[in-house]
Amino acid sequence: MNKSTILSGTDLSKKYGTLEVVKGVSLTVNAGEFVCLVGKSGCGKTTLLSLLSGLEKPTHGKVTLDGREITSSSEDELALFRRENVGFIFQSFNLIPTLSAWENVALPLFPIKMISEERRRRATELLGKMELGHRIEHLPSALSGGEKQRVAIARALVNNPRIIFADEPTGNLDSSTGEAIMGILNRLHRDEGVAILMVTHEDELAKTANRLIRMKDGEIMS
Amino acid sequence: MNLRYMTKELYYQKRRTLISILGLSIGIALLIILNSLSLAYRQAAHVPLKEIGADITVQRSGDVPKELTGPVFPCSAVTIRKEEVEKIEKLPGVRGIGTGLLLWVFDPNRAWIVLGIEKENSIGPSIIRSSVTEGRFLEDGKPEALVEQAYARQFGIKLNDTISVADNKFPVVGFVDASRAAKIAVANVYLPLKEAEDLAASSKELQSVSPYALGDVNLLFIKADQEKITGLASELKGILGDKATVATPDSFLKLLGSLFALSDKFTLAASLIAIIVAVLIAFKTMAGNIAERAREIGVLKAVGWTNRNVVSQLMSESVIQCFMAGILGLLIALVASFGLSFMKVNIPIPWEMSPTPHFLPGGGDQIFKTLRLPVYVSWSLASFAILLSIIIGGLTGGLLGRHISKIKPSEVLRHE
Repeated sequence: MNKSTILSGTDLSKKYGTLEVVKGVSLTVNAGEFVCLVGKSGCGKTTLLSLLSGLEKPTHGKVTLDGREITSSSEDELALFRRENVGFIFQSFNLIPTLSAWENVALPLFPIKMISEERRRRATELLGKMELGHRIEHLPSALSGGEKQRVAIARALVNNPRIIFADEPTGNLDSSTGEAIMGILNRLHRDEGVAILMVTHEDELAKTANRLIRMKDGEIMS
Repeated sequence: MNLRYMTKELYYQKRRTLISILGLSIGIALLIILNSLSLAYRQAAHVPLKEIGADITVQRSGDVPKELTGPVFPCSAVTIRKEEVEKIEKLPGVRGIGTGLLLWVFDPNRAWIVLGIEKENSIGPSIIRSSVTEGRFLEDGKPEALVEQAYARQFGIKLNDTISVADNKFPVVGFVDASRAAKIAVANVYLPLKEAEDLAASSKELQSVSPYALGDVNLLFIKADQEKITGLASELKGILGDKATVATPDSFLKLLGSLFALSDKFTLAASLIAIIVAVLIAFKTMAGNIAERAREIGVLKAVGWTNRNVVSQLMSESVIQCFMAGILGLLIALVASFGLSFMKVNIPIPWEMSPTPHFLPGGGDQIFKTLRLPVYVSWSLASFAILLSIIIGGLTGGLLGRHISKIKPSEVLRHE
């Protein structure tokens, strides 16, 4: 693996029963690189993202993330690894409805022994960067779609990850809000040097990435 | 476990939290009330004997006198020999003994129920000392009498009058209020035990039915170690024979006839059902709650929560909910117990224990000891209920948490 490679998937396959969703895929993402995985719905891109991020184990193949082979790790080892090295952004934001904006951002820090003020300081700082400094005490139900996704991005950044996995991050947003979110992701990759692997089915959004990987029927086309 | 997350989850999911708490609290309240009721009946059953300072009373039934003239023994209480009393005194578990001699005295123009009592003994009928309303208590070695207040009023007997019982003269030195005294071994006239013994020893009619010697008695009151009462009851029967009537708190409990009084097994079974209902309610509501949160758990795991983190978070929520349910259940039970404590219970006193000739006014009436049911929630029961709630919370949260923590985040987060 190249020194600048942060993520590498080798010969990855995933089968659900007899249905093979991902078929012998290999790919790499370099540190600070913004890679878009595009393809039609059902082509296996979300499953590939789950395999590469350690959310799911491949039927075959191996994944190396930030120099560590994660395919054979236990569930708890993977959780700890994700907590320290990886950020996630989901299409449906997946914020905890009973927690305020700052508490949602601090969610990955809750199991870590840390004084509450420090958690709040880090979360508030990130929400400030997302221009949500005035919404820190609001519950998700009081936030707009764009605001929710910005909270989710802040949550993905709270543990200072080297790579963020984003699954259709603009899928539930209108086009102008989606553009704003893409702007934030681009800024993150450009200014903070965070690698991003984003899944989308919109070619237009993918154009802003450094590299585009097309998927079809569980295989990489280009 | 994150306290902030836990409190917010419980606070914002009010409906969910309330349903869980209410459901379990009903089970816990039921458990406390059932056990408090059972305990109350048990304590009520002790009252008739406690009033006379005893845990066990012993009599021996015999034959009905052929003629009702002069002093006779009621058929429910014939001679218990001095040697038998001495043997009983030595039984392990016996802490003290009180004695009495109950006689029916049929004079030509009046019938008396006479009770010979010891001068001083906290066990047995001499505790009537505290019920003297006028005059004084009996003095040792003097042939004198105490008369029951209502009886004295009915027959115009006054303080310092002399009454004649089986041709023996006794000055009336005091009145006693039987309504304030025990319902067991109630008499019209109370004499020093020695005087009653003399009456019994000199009665041919009595001797012909049940041979009697000075020093013998016909009522025994035993103070015993609580845990040995049941064992002692059967030993007493062994000493006194099949005709012995041994009354214990358990025998009064049976007379109460309530389901709670009838058997420990009923209370135990009902308590178990209450606990099972409480556990099922807790389990069902928590299972529903946790199932609703599958996606949330998926998010927690995706952002780096380990299975242990998830389980301890869910367990703490469950423990707090069940603890609150325990407190609410306890409060419900306290209110219910307060209400139930106004309930009156009538404990029937068997005729044999306070025999009155049937042909005398009121002789055939059933005597009851009426008292308010002493329902209260004991500290130990309250602590047990709270502890049980916490255990239910821990088990439910732990089991469901372990189950749900196995969820794969990709499974719940993939379908947007």
